Amino acid sequence: MAVVTAPVAAAADAAPTGRPLARYGPALGSATACAGFAALIPTIADYSSIRVAWPWISGLGVELSFLIDGLALIFALLITGIGALVLAYSASYFKGHHKLVRLLVLLVLFELSMLGLVLADNLILMFVFWELTTVTSFLLVGFDHEKADARNKALQALLVTAAGGLALLAGILLIGAVAGTLEASALPAAAAALKADPLYPAILVLVLLGAFTKSAQFPFHFWLPNAMAAPTPVSAYLHSATMVKAGVYLLARLTPALGGTGPWLWTLTIVGGVTAVLASIWALRQTDLKLTLAYTTVMALGTLTMFLGGASAIALAAAVTFLIVHAFYKAALFLAVGILDKKAGSREIDQLGGLARPMWRTWVVVALAALSMAGFPPFLGFIGKELKYEGALAVASEPLLVVTFAVAANAMMVAVAGLVAIKPFLGPRTATAAKAGEPPFAMWLGPAVLATGGLVFGIAPELVGAALVNPTASVMIGDRVAKDFKLWHGVNIPLMLSILTFVLGVVIYLALGRIRRGLAAGEAHGLWAAESGYDGVLAGTKALAAWQTRVIQTGRQTQYFLWTTTVLAALLWAGLAMGGFAVMPRGVEAISLIELTMLALAAFGAVATVVTRSRLLAILALGLLGSAVAAIFVFYGAIDVAMTQLLVETLIVVIVAVALLRLPRLTPAPGLEVRWGHLGVALATGVATALALTAVLGTELDRRITDFFEQASATEAFGRNIVNVILVDFRALDTLGEIAVVVVAALGAVALLTRRREHREASR
Amino acid sequence: MSQSYLLVALPELFLLAAGLVLLVVGAFKETAAGARLVSNLALGTLAITLVLVLVAAPDRAVAFRGNFVMDGFAGFMKVVVLLGALGTLAIAQPYLRREGIERFEYAVLVIFSTAGMSLLLSANSFLALYISLELMSLPLYVLAAFQRDTYKSTEAGLKYFVLGALASGMLLYGVSLVYGFTGTIFFEELTALYLDEEGAELPLGALVGVVFIAAGLAFKLGAVPFHMWTPDVYEGAPTAVTALFAAAPKLAAMGLTVRVFAEPFGAFVADWQQIIIAVSVGSMVLGAFGAIGQRNIKRLLAYSGIGHVGYALVGLAAGTQSGVYGVLVYMTIYLFMTVGTFGVVLALRRRGQSLEQIDDFAGLGKDQPLLALATAIFMFSLAGIPPLAGFFGKLYVFLAAIEVGLVWLAVIGVLTSVVGAYYYLRIVKLVYFDSAPEALDRGMEPELRGVIAVSAVVTALFVVVPGPILGSARVAAGALFP
Repeated sequence: MAVVTAPVAAAADAAPTGRPLARYGPALGSATACAGFAALIPTIADYSSIRVAWPWISGLGVELSFLIDGLALIFALLITGIGALVLAYSASYFKGHHKLVRLLVLLVLFELSMLGLVLADNLILMFVFWELTTVTSFLLVGFDHEKADARNKALQALLVTAAGGLALLAGILLIGAVAGTLEASALPAAAAALKADPLYPAILVLVLLGAFTKSAQFPFHFWLPNAMAAPTPVSAYLHSATMVKAGVYLLARLTPALGGTGPWLWTLTIVGGVTAVLASIWALRQTDLKLTLAYTTVMALGTLTMFLGGASAIALAAAVTFLIVHAFYKAALFLAVGILDKKAGSREIDQLGGLARPMWRTWVVVALAALSMAGFPPFLGFIGKELKYEGALAVASEPLLVVTFAVAANAMMVAVAGLVAIKPFLGPRTATAAKAGEPPFAMWLGPAVLATGGLVFGIAPELVGAALVNPTASVMIGDRVAKDFKLWHGVNIPLMLSILTFVLGVVIYLALGRIRRGLAAGEAHGLWAAESGYDGVLAGTKALAAWQTRVIQTGRQTQYFLWTTTVLAALLWAGLAMGGFAVMPRGVEAISLIELTMLALAAFGAVATVVTRSRLLAILALGLLGSAVAAIFVFYGAIDVAMTQLLVETLIVVIVAVALLRLPRLTPAPGLEVRWGHLGVALATGVATALALTAVLGTELDRRITDFFEQASATEAFGRNIVNVILVDFRALDTLGEIAVVVVAALGAVALLTRRREHREASR
Repeated sequence: MSQSYLLVALPELFLLAAGLVLLVVGAFKETAAGARLVSNLALGTLAITLVLVLVAAPDRAVAFRGNFVMDGFAGFMKVVVLLGALGTLAIAQPYLRREGIERFEYAVLVIFSTAGMSLLLSANSFLALYISLELMSLPLYVLAAFQRDTYKSTEAGLKYFVLGALASGMLLYGVSLVYGFTGTIFFEELTALYLDEEGAELPLGALVGVVFIAAGLAFKLGAVPFHMWTPDVYEGAPTAVTALFAAAPKLAAMGLTVRVFAEPFGAFVADWQQIIIAVSVGSMVLGAFGAIGQRNIKRLLAYSGIGHVGYALVGLAAGTQSGVYGVLVYMTIYLFMTVGTFGVVLALRRRGQSLEQIDDFAGLGKDQPLLALATAIFMFSLAGIPPLAGFFGKLYVFLAAIEVGLVWLAVIGVLTSVVGAYYYLRIVKLVYFDSAPEALDRGMEPELRGVIAVSAVVTALFVVVPGPILGSARVAAGALFP
């Protein structure tokens, strides 16, 4: 834990002051953490792992558990190592900026979240850190928020990754439900059960959604280039070296649990391959160096995904190696572009030229990184590429497809490497670059260290190979991998493919102008508009929301009643349709003529209420309906109920009529169509209620209460009319209460009505 | 014997008695100073009631001939509801003063309504349920129309009342059906009725009754399809009242819903599960989509509230102890998030004018960094983004649903969370990245500051110290599943 908390402490030291030592404090802390992790390399190289756990949320299987194995260590080293360099770079890049402290704190927070993500063993814990990286990256992308563009892009990146993150959460919960554990280290044991479960496809889709959105795979790739609105050091750190690789990390982490099946293999291969090729084409199209690099990052992420799909040890080793290679050269190039932007005044490729002399130290760094990117020997990139080809040939599903994808993408990488390393530095000096000069040491240090690393590890590949790549591949394949890492493999198919790649790359570089014009024409014809999908979804959601407000939430009370009734009717009909109420009432006797007359009167009252346009007539008709119902009560011997009903009806008619007379006239009356619609709803509700009621009456009523009153009314209360006895004896207190309530209500009504009159007289 | 009866209901009795006393105090001192005095006394009353609930014996005790029950569940929910009432009353004071509607009746009505909520949570029969429900609702109708000089507030009160009366009618109708077909209105008797019969079925009539009861409860919860009053009433009512609506009655109604379905009808999970699932899905979807187009923050929070009820109901739909546990955790966390959010809305002012539009959040990050931080915490938490408390609420209910095989329900929950995240995060974007032509007012009243700070701290630090809330919620849920 001390290792993890070091950068925080350093950042806290740095916060209050702007002194150089304080500014570089976070970088030193991060470097210390990196050294701490490096000390663990021997343990990991021995194919063992370290796990620590504390209880956290008991009962849910969520604990604070951390695991350091090969996979976690590689990421931890990259995060802290590159983190240290980027922090130092930022401290120099933003020297004197009024929000430098805020930037450094956010970067350190992000670094910690990222570390938590890769070190967490518990999947829920990992998800917590996953979303923390999303949130902190949101704040980092929007750092330069005086620009409206930066703000919208920050929101876009946040939405896409947060949406994917929530899908991932659903996937994790399903994994937990199926496997019975949420510890990643315990998942391989449950792999067979997971893959055989009927929920496996759902798990796969959800987890892949999370991984693909985070790692900017097609068709979710668009947010990454858009997020280039972020300050350059932030892009270098988040969008090339660390955060976007979280998706790749997740895939790698879950490979032993979910990988190896047909759907896994094909989805990853095709999505990864398509992303890689499309992204490299887009990369050629760009003129902004930073955007070019962004697209090549997408390409790298696609390649990594593609190789993680391949279930062979060599493909996985290739993926891990390329991961390291890419982190080195891409971060270096990003930081170098930042230097160009700051010191040469532009990131546009067409505005830069002839910088070799005034910025020769930068050029050396860029050239070293670009050579590694293009995969020239003796750089680490060369080994990465050879391994990729070897791995591609070993991919179980479709070696030819993977090889084609890999060669095409790599050839375009060669071209892009040329673009970055040659165009800005050679040729005549441009006007923009007139005042170019070397950057300060702290800015130059980061890219230089990274670019040199690519060379050193290329010459001595076993430094990373045996120590990190093999243990990591072992973790993923579940079996010990001991691949030999050498610069020279002899003449074999991968070497042939490498030569082919260079030739193709040079051809593409030379034809770049024409390719770019062609792509621009294609774009004008609406090609590759994946971002419109995002816009479309957003617009659709907004339209749905607007519809909801317009149609359901109108603000009119009548409309609310309509909807509530409609839903009630739908529920009742659903119940009827399911056969729940298909019971006929028992003991239905013949209906007498007088009862029929009363029913007809009630029906007439109901229809009249609806049909009439006069409110007064309507309320009178409603009274008629109530009186008819009261009459029916009379026939069943419930005189008292009938009387109450009659009284209440009369009272309501009078009160409502008085109230209505004071209300303004309703204009305009609803149209005929609307009224027919209301009729439909009313009929549906009424018929359904009638059917439900008949069904209910067909079932057994609980007769205990009835029996009790039948027996007790005469013996205990000395009354033969049970209803009367209930009212004045058993429930006498209730009756008293009711009378009191009615009196109070009447008093209130009187007060309201008279007060209103007084008010009017007073105003006259 | 009768003495112990009264002791069981001591917090409610104290609250009611204090309410009457405050009414008299207010009537004799009908000035602004009097209103302030009554309000402060009401705060003290609520605090004392809270203490009384906390020190009450945790064992189950029944009083008033089985109409009233005090158990771990009621105790827990009462604490949460009282906290909600306390918090919203505290932030109401400065708001009412500014709006010129500072009257002593406000605090008195809040006290009576809170007494209703507290009784509601202890209701052990349908009769007690209905009476306490009305005691809770009637003062709320008045409160909604408290700013009676504005059309919006009056309209809100009227709408709330009319639709509320409709819901009460449905509830009563359902209760009478249940009574007719089972012969009892007591929860304990209903629970015992079918206890020894294996595979017993609820009579059809009682089942129809349950549907109507569910409709009535859904109205009080503000759940789909009886949610329509919420956006209008939330917008129209004075903001302080809206805060109260969102916090206390919703929680009380949720506690009641859980008790009704877990206790008297606990044996018939299969019968009511579909109703709860339908209401839950409807609420989650409508809450998520309805909120997007809103420009008024109070309307947005109304939809947000609808959605959150839907999430909590996912836990109830599971019908298990861990599901109820999830509901309790969720609602507790919801309380802090929502009270805090309304605190922020109340604090949002420009040149002394209260602001209600979402766009008014622009520039908050620059003008009031601490308030902006609190806003961000609440929004991220409402969106369910870890490590904030809102995430854990969702986690618990979703896990409970998955445990009983309702995987698709949890997945719908997650998907609507994605949609919901959009509008919460848009507010964060406004707060931090957009700027307004004119600066927001700085400084706020100490009450407001305190409530916002406490809510934000609880929301942010739940992840570090989850024990207190989780532990007591677990005990409370256990009380319903002996």
